[in-house]
Amino acid sequence: MTTTTTQRPGTATAQRSPGRSSRLHRPSGMPWILPAMVFSVGLLYYCIFYTGYISTLDWDGAAPLQESVGLANYARMLRDPVFWRALANTVVFFVATFVIEVALGLVFACLLHSKLYLKTLYKVLIFIPVVLATATVAPVFRLIYAPDGTLNTLLRAVGLDALAQPWLASGTMALIIVISVQIWQSTGVVFVLYYAAIGQIEHSVIEAARIDGAGDFRIMTSIVWPGVRGTTLAIAILSAIGSLKTFDIPFLITGGGPSYATEFLGTLIYRVSVAFSKVGYGAAISIVLLVLAMGAAIIINTGGRRGGSHV
Amino acid sequence: MFETRRISYRILLQILLTILVIPFVFPLVAMIQGSLAGAGWDNYRTVLSLPLLPGFFINSALVAVAVILIVVACTMTAAFGFSKLHIAGKEIYFWMLLAALTLPGVVLLTPLFATVTRIGAYNTLWAVILPVAALQVPFTVLLARNFVDGIPDEMIEAARVDGAGMVRTFWSVILPLTRPIIAAVLVLVFINAWNEYLLALLFLQTPEQQTITLVPQYFVGQYNNDQTKVLAAAVLTGLPVVIAYICLQRFFERGLAAGALK
Repeated sequence: MTTTTTQRPGTATAQRSPGRSSRLHRPSGMPWILPAMVFSVGLLYYCIFYTGYISTLDWDGAAPLQESVGLANYARMLRDPVFWRALANTVVFFVATFVIEVALGLVFACLLHSKLYLKTLYKVLIFIPVVLATATVAPVFRLIYAPDGTLNTLLRAVGLDALAQPWLASGTMALIIVISVQIWQSTGVVFVLYYAAIGQIEHSVIEAARIDGAGDFRIMTSIVWPGVRGTTLAIAILSAIGSLKTFDIPFLITGGGPSYATEFLGTLIYRVSVAFSKVGYGAAISIVLLVLAMGAAIIINTGGRRGGSHV
Repeated sequence: MFETRRISYRILLQILLTILVIPFVFPLVAMIQGSLAGAGWDNYRTVLSLPLLPGFFINSALVAVAVILIVVACTMTAAFGFSKLHIAGKEIYFWMLLAALTLPGVVLLTPLFATVTRIGAYNTLWAVILPVAALQVPFTVLLARNFVDGIPDEMIEAARVDGAGMVRTFWSVILPLTRPIIAAVLVLVFINAWNEYLLALLFLQTPEQQTITLVPQYFVGQYNNDQTKVLAAAVLTGLPVVIAYICLQRFFERGLAAGALK
């Protein structure tokens, strides 16, 4: 015991001296990352753990009375048809937006890498919807799809009266509209990512394929598509997380209705926590939403990597 | 990319592109047209003459500036630390930060509400500024770290050999070299802060404290659903971001692309 303690300082200094010199040479970066860690990670993780705690309570969010109910909120969620409806809507929303945004974004990126006129103007027009707040554009979409709104006026003007309808009153239509607004708002991002990715593909490869007689379609499917694989993966993760986070668009345009046809997890959490004051139940859904978002990111990331090694 | 040597084909592609862009422009046209319907430019005059309107803009500007200052300060120091300095268990901290990337704002709703009311920040801009900034930091650190990784270590060694301390190295070597990514972070954060809706809706109760994303709603109440005024207000609130985007278009695209292409 005593021998080890007497030996330790000697060996420790002997081992530490090279370490210390390099530490002098390159001091610890801890103080540099501390503000971001304390502020961002601290605040966000505090909220997550707090939400986890609240999810075991029966609480209205304001009253001093909090009753611990264990996992009852989670059990209630599994029995709640609206929760499953919201989840199903999220899946439909993700698949539809991802497929259409990728197709549109890729076509735009290829077209704008070609020699065409007014390319900057087209780029700006595709991207403006991205920078506008949903809160800003929501009144326009409500106007377009209103019973006597722009779309119906347009249809009647061209003699298609039969097609005119109160668009937001139909569940299926309302979901399609929510999806279309999301596509309108985020295709710009997908386009910019693909545009940058295509810029990194060797031009000579495309030229060589062209000399070998490959047409535009063949070049897109055989060179561009595999070439932007990493970007597509990133977009898949972004849009999976984005689908789970969906709130502004259904909240502001359809209000989650008609009869929960456009309810998403985000709008459901809001409805439950704020309108119904069932804060504990809302927190339980929040925790599930968080787990799903992280799970989706991990699955797509590892699945994509594994698929990549086979190609 | 596409073969455009034959003029007929080129025209065909140009037409295809135009047709595909129309759905993106249509709502914008409908927005402007709607805002000019009925009373025409008087809609704008009515909206602009509202005494509360400058307040909404000032609040949004205050939120944006505060969020930008916090995020840029946290991001650049953290990017320097993560990229160039020795930290025990560095990647664990980095992953903790990245995990927060998946965090939906709505998850923060209840804990924030409880905390904000307890510390008396309810109906103050801080209740929006702090969570919005915290939610931005993980993504901007990811962006900036990738960029700082590209700066050769030798430049930092050289600064140190010349006797510069950490702070001096950061200030005189890192910051000037990372201007493009700072610009990109700035634009991205500005747009996100300016467009924040949920937290503003929840925490800002009186019109004197509200931000511009709440303006359309305010006008729905004020004008009893007079759509033309609501749309005029929407156009006015959208203008600053569109102008910011058009002026800083290059930084914007570079910033977004830098996030996905490592």
